[in-house]
Amino acid sequence: MGQLSLKTVIKTFGDIQVVKGVSLDVTEGEFVVFVGPSGCGKSTLLRMIAGLEHTSAGDIVIDGKRVNDLPPVKRGIAMVFQSYALYPHMSVYENIAFPLRVERAPEEVIRQKVNAAAAILHLETRLQQKPGQLSGGQRQRVAIGRAIVREPEIFLFDEPLSNLDAALRSDMRIELTRLHKQLGATMIYVTHDQVEAMTMADRIVVLNAGYIAQVGAPLELYHKPQNTFVAGFIGNPRMNFLPVTCTGVSDAGVEVDWQGSRRVIPVEPRAGIEGATLHLGIRPEHVTLERGDFALRLTPSVVEQLGQQTIGYAALPGREENFCFVLPGTRVIEDDKPLDVGFAAAECHLFDAEGQALPRRVDLAAMSVPPAL
Amino acid sequence: MARRSTDTRAMIDRYRWWEMLAIYAGLCLFLFFMLAPFIEGFLVSLKPLAQLFSSPYSFWPENGSFKAYFTMWDTVPGFARYVINSFLISITSTVIVLLLVVPAAYAFARFDYKGMGLVLGGFLAVSMFSGAVLLIPLFRLMRSMGLLNTYFAMIIPGAAFLIPSAIWLLRTYMMRIPTELNEAAYMDGASQFYTFRRVILPIARPGIIVVAIVTFIGAYSQQFIFALTFNSKTEYMPLPIGLYAYFGKQEVIWNELMAASFVGIAPAMVLIFFLQRYLVGGLTAGAVKQ
Ligand SMILES: Nc1ncnc2c1ncn2[C@@H]1O[C@H](COP(=O)(O)OP(=O)(O)O)[C@@H](O)[C@H]1O
Ligand SMILES: [Mg+2]
Repeated sequence: MGQLSLKTVIKTFGDIQVVKGVSLDVTEGEFVVFVGPSGCGKSTLLRMIAGLEHTSAGDIVIDGKRVNDLPPVKRGIAMVFQSYALYPHMSVYENIAFPLRVERAPEEVIRQKVNAAAAILHLETRLQQKPGQLSGGQRQRVAIGRAIVREPEIFLFDEPLSNLDAALRSDMRIELTRLHKQLGATMIYVTHDQVEAMTMADRIVVLNAGYIAQVGAPLELYHKPQNTFVAGFIGNPRMNFLPVTCTGVSDAGVEVDWQGSRRVIPVEPRAGIEGATLHLGIRPEHVTLERGDFALRLTPSVVEQLGQQTIGYAALPGREENFCFVLPGTRVIEDDKPLDVGFAAAECHLFDAEGQALPRRVDLAAMSVPPAL
Repeated sequence: MARRSTDTRAMIDRYRWWEMLAIYAGLCLFLFFMLAPFIEGFLVSLKPLAQLFSSPYSFWPENGSFKAYFTMWDTVPGFARYVINSFLISITSTVIVLLLVVPAAYAFARFDYKGMGLVLGGFLAVSMFSGAVLLIPLFRLMRSMGLLNTYFAMIIPGAAFLIPSAIWLLRTYMMRIPTELNEAAYMDGASQFYTFRRVILPIARPGIIVVAIVTFIGAYSQQFIFALTFNSKTEYMPLPIGLYAYFGKQEVIWNELMAASFVGIAPAMVLIFFLQRYLVGGLTAGAVKQ
């Protein structure tokens, strides 16, 4: 129970296509995060799953049953809204009890379920207050409580943390992960914040302008992005891209030339790309102060000291975007003074002219806990 | 040592003493302008009749008393009935208007359909006609429906003329209730009607009360013209017509007339003050993130 499939789902508003054919399988109990820049159609997709919007084409299947024409309750879905959407005139207790009152549950059942939800969400002392008297985080928990009492198989969240301050947001992230373990229900979570996506998701769906750019586990997206969009979107600060020329292809990988230094990047070789211009991607955190396979001299114009790390931005000749690097710990780096940095070929990503990745040879299994047998 | 300020108002709300003085002077002038007829009316009600025509005219009553407030009941024995009629007509009009307007305003605020702008524009156009312009057609209508000389002759046209502005007023209020609340209720399985009753109505209460007050006052003040044309039965007469009874054959009993006016509007004032207590703001606080 709680298995969801989307089959080439399309949504058009007027003559603008907002969701352009999304297919996805979500297994039971999975925590799936939809992430993407704002306006890419995340909310629209979620609202179609919820039953608040019609699909223009394609099917939504829950537990083997096509639900396109069913109202939300019949789909076994509960949704937590981007704005909390609490009933302002009702107490917290009545807000959480609302779905149960709608289905005319007996008073005893209501009390028991509301109290159970309140205990999970640490709202016991707030039950008699009105939403207006609560803080943002508490309001969001009330909204979650209203979803919990219905015991749905699938929970939908639309940017539930986006208006909380940073400290509260990381607390709520942990709470939500705990809740997911406790309830074991399928959860689909929409956010534009990649930190939320990376920390909570079993699987991340990266959306770009109505398409799925890539689906995968968080570390898979980080280490093996399939295109420049995902490479740039996942990871903060974003990946640096440098134009390189392909000078040869061998079993070991693809040899590229960047400003005179030729190195072999360990990616799956592809025939017929010799001489083509490719994009070399290097994450700021993989840039070091040692001369690596590639070396470059930079003049950082801005240096940000976070204590935990030091971030520098430098203009490269002929490039509009700043080259960014992140060094661990606190470093004494002066801005406007030249600095020699380098990076290893093994850390590099390679993309063709269309932005499609040449798959890297990294062993993801070695980076995660092996699944229990 | 720095001087401590005990003033807790924000800087933007602080004024110099002379600014305060000017503000209050302005307020007094404005209030006097508004209230002068009432003050004069009240003073007149306290004066003996003879003093009203004395010359030079004294603004302030000499040996004033509340005697007129007692004698007025004997001069016009049906007066209590007129007050009750007025009240009854206005209350019934208000109830009818609210019953029709609350669901209509909600529909206009929430649902989008073809021709809605046209209907709303039509309402606005209708409310530009005052009842007086339509008196003759209305009279014929009332006569053919057999409603002349009944309470309905005063209630129904009154209510009809008050509906358009009430819809506009309440629609504006209801449009400010976030749509997410409807969607959340829908997600929880509530029907449209359940959502309307349990979510929308309680939140719209302050707006509904404003509309009730405005409609009540409107019904109270416009009943005169309908009573005059559609009703000739003394026992159904509302207050404004009833006051004419103090216009005697030879003279107008001014002091009793004024006293009667004040007594007549008292129940309406009480009702409005009572309703006003429910006009609490900020009912949507905490509903959605702003
Ligand atoms: N009801 C609607 N009518 C017309 N356009 C809409 C509607 N809802 C969303 N859109 C458009 O669809 C696009 C995607 O919106 P949305 O799904 O809310 O994006 P996201 O949640 O990813 O920020 C936006 O360009 C938005 O303007
Ligand atoms: Mg959104």
